[in-house]
Amino acid sequence: MMKQTLNNIYSGLQDIFEVFTLELHRIFTDGGVMLIFFVATLLYPLIFGAIYKYELVRNLPVAVVDDSQSEPSRRFIRKMDATPEVNVDFCCRTLEEAEALMRQRKINGIVYFPKEYNNQLVIGEQARLCLFCDMSSFLYYRSVFTGASSVMLDEMKQIQLERYAMAGTTGAGAEEMITAIPYDDVKLFSPAGGFTSFLVPALLALVIHQTLFLGICILSGTIREEGQTVAVIPERLRNRSVYRVVIGRSIAYSMLYIPLVAIDLVLLPRVFGLPHIGRLGDLCLFLLPFLLATISFSMTVGAFVRERDTVVLTCIFFSVILLFLSGVVWPRSNMPAFWRFFSYLFPSTHGIQGFVRINSMGAELRQVRFEYLMLWIQAGTYFLTSCLLYRLFFLHERLKKSAKLTDII
Amino acid sequence: MKRILNTLCRELRMLRHHPRYMILLTAGILFSYVFFLTFMHEGQPENLPIAVVDHDGSYLSRRLCHELNATQGVDVVAIYDTHREAREAMQRQEIFAFLEIPAGTYSELLDFKTPHIALYSNNAYLLSGTLSYKTLSTIGKLASAAVQREVLRKKGLAESQIMGMLQPVEIDTHLISNPWGSYLPYVLTTMLPGIIGVMALLFTIYMTTNELKHNTYRLWIASADGDMLCALLGKLLPYTFWFTLLGVVGNIVMFGFCHFVCRGSFLALSATMLLFILAMQSMGVFIAGLIPDQHLAVSIGGIYGMLSFSMAGFSYPVDSMPPALQALSYIFPLRHHYLAYAKTALFGGTLADYWPHICLLLLFLVPGLVGGLLLMRQSVGDEGCVPSVSNNKQSV
Repeated sequence: MMKQTLNNIYSGLQDIFEVFTLELHRIFTDGGVMLIFFVATLLYPLIFGAIYKYELVRNLPVAVVDDSQSEPSRRFIRKMDATPEVNVDFCCRTLEEAEALMRQRKINGIVYFPKEYNNQLVIGEQARLCLFCDMSSFLYYRSVFTGASSVMLDEMKQIQLERYAMAGTTGAGAEEMITAIPYDDVKLFSPAGGFTSFLVPALLALVIHQTLFLGICILSGTIREEGQTVAVIPERLRNRSVYRVVIGRSIAYSMLYIPLVAIDLVLLPRVFGLPHIGRLGDLCLFLLPFLLATISFSMTVGAFVRERDTVVLTCIFFSVILLFLSGVVWPRSNMPAFWRFFSYLFPSTHGIQGFVRINSMGAELRQVRFEYLMLWIQAGTYFLTSCLLYRLFFLHERLKKSAKLTDII
Repeated sequence: MKRILNTLCRELRMLRHHPRYMILLTAGILFSYVFFLTFMHEGQPENLPIAVVDHDGSYLSRRLCHELNATQGVDVVAIYDTHREAREAMQRQEIFAFLEIPAGTYSELLDFKTPHIALYSNNAYLLSGTLSYKTLSTIGKLASAAVQREVLRKKGLAESQIMGMLQPVEIDTHLISNPWGSYLPYVLTTMLPGIIGVMALLFTIYMTTNELKHNTYRLWIASADGDMLCALLGKLLPYTFWFTLLGVVGNIVMFGFCHFVCRGSFLALSATMLLFILAMQSMGVFIAGLIPDQHLAVSIGGIYGMLSFSMAGFSYPVDSMPPALQALSYIFPLRHHYLAYAKTALFGGTLADYWPHICLLLLFLVPGLVGGLLLMRQSVGDEGCVPSVSNNKQSV
């Protein structure tokens, strides 16, 4: 009895090892898969690092239309030119002129001072200036708006002090009046509010998910395309349990991806100077179920793939949708419930969330408990479904073959 | 013309027998439309969850909470006793920002001292962090203004004078062609054409290399009497038509039903869409010509196609990228589509403004021709080995 069990275990390990070597062989002889597994995982992060290198949008060209032609308006323009966000590159005589520049995309914003700007300031009323923002990218809007409003706040304070002085309050008393309750703003986890620190960590995790998914689906598709539906299960294993195939293949992918994950998600944030305040132990513990869940998810989907190029053709656009579903770009609290639950189907959702929170926000494992649990649940469920599907396809194929045989007979 | 028609009929026949891919792609595109339109239906995230850390427990702190709740931007979902609790809630992504009111704030205010409050926002989630910070800082400024107004009123100043004291300069902000500051027009108008374009690219690579793979290559060329250009046109035009149609339908949905602002001519937008699809298809032929191996070509097409979303420059402006990448952005048709769209729809530009982009999109047809020539050479090179393949098959 004991001996039989040992024998079973031994043969099981042998089978797993066989599947494992076979899968590695398949991967390394397939140019398309090698390209996705190794070139894409390493190339994309490098390109993203280069694209988003400068984090912020600085020195945006804006035009000024100054109908007021006064000292305060000129002071405002000078100060705006001095902000890091915008450069006053053009002074136009009319709004139409500035609008034409905007149409040619030579400028990303227009500041307009009406004729009465100075008069209103002199008589102690509220003076108004107009700001027109280019909305073709939100970062343009953000920079132009930040530049103008920081100057406005500065100007406002100066004018307020003057007006209080006229009303008889000067010095510290006036200062205290103007900002009765001053506030300190602390921008946590990315003090500059850079675009890179926000998007690139999410993209890195997405790259791992998508390359693994596409690669595995392509491999499954190739097997089917070669007309050996059952070849998913090697000859020798024909009548034995199918889980050995699933485990063997998973080990092959994990082995290849552990170094890639280490490079993309642990090393690169440090090389690129992205936020990386998470504890390394927590990060590794979290990435393990992410990897496993992604592998078993991909194998489950891969079971349905009949032709290898179908996946790239029809699923690549899904990367964009997965990024939105992850809740990093668009807050999870504001997703329609249906899409939120839909997003729970994909390991990328929890993987990206957890990775960003541990890596960029220094969360501990207990603070990503939900994501962590969900990833383990996904890993388990998708493992079972892939075993089940492989078994089903195997039985289906055998049935078809025996039917053919009886036909021939 | 007849040659093109011949190839076209052959292609349509093939399509009738294998419509699976076309159906899958169309379903994918329609899914993206439905997804993006329903996913961000709010336009701009509203009622973002934030918290208040209230050490003061006074009339003022409660008032601030009420004021915050009354705004459209944020929603106070929790009141914490300690800073640590709030920070941890932030790390659990339960809140995007919090306001900390130290003990004694209200009494200090009444004593004409200057109490400090603190705003914390989460910049790791840029959009939600920035938006909730914006609301919090507005409330912070309003709190100071409210105190000022009370004091000035007691001093007996007139209401108009008070306003002049509170906010001497006001900025009247106009968001050109997107007055709501909505994310929908910003994301959809480039994302959806991008998805259609990537699909057109990959589908072109797949269809052309398929002929090589199944050795139907010479039949294809023969259907156009050996004219490569006609063969390509006949093969790809049905898809050009279909993808452009999907793109234009998308434009009708976005600018018609969803009321995105289109200040220029709709016809110009549709023409740009057509040229964009042609450019993507032409890049597809180019890649297929360079790399005749179907699997490799499709993978490389995928990598190139997905980069267009970053390189289009609608999320992160191209002018802020390193110079080498700025130059590289020219080889992505989506970039030109985006620029032409911005000039036409957002700024109401005419042909005088966007002709460079139209020309550049037309220029993309050149790589397509080069790809066609490469494919032609492939077929000449292959002719020698085609019989050997069939011999092999016979022997098998």
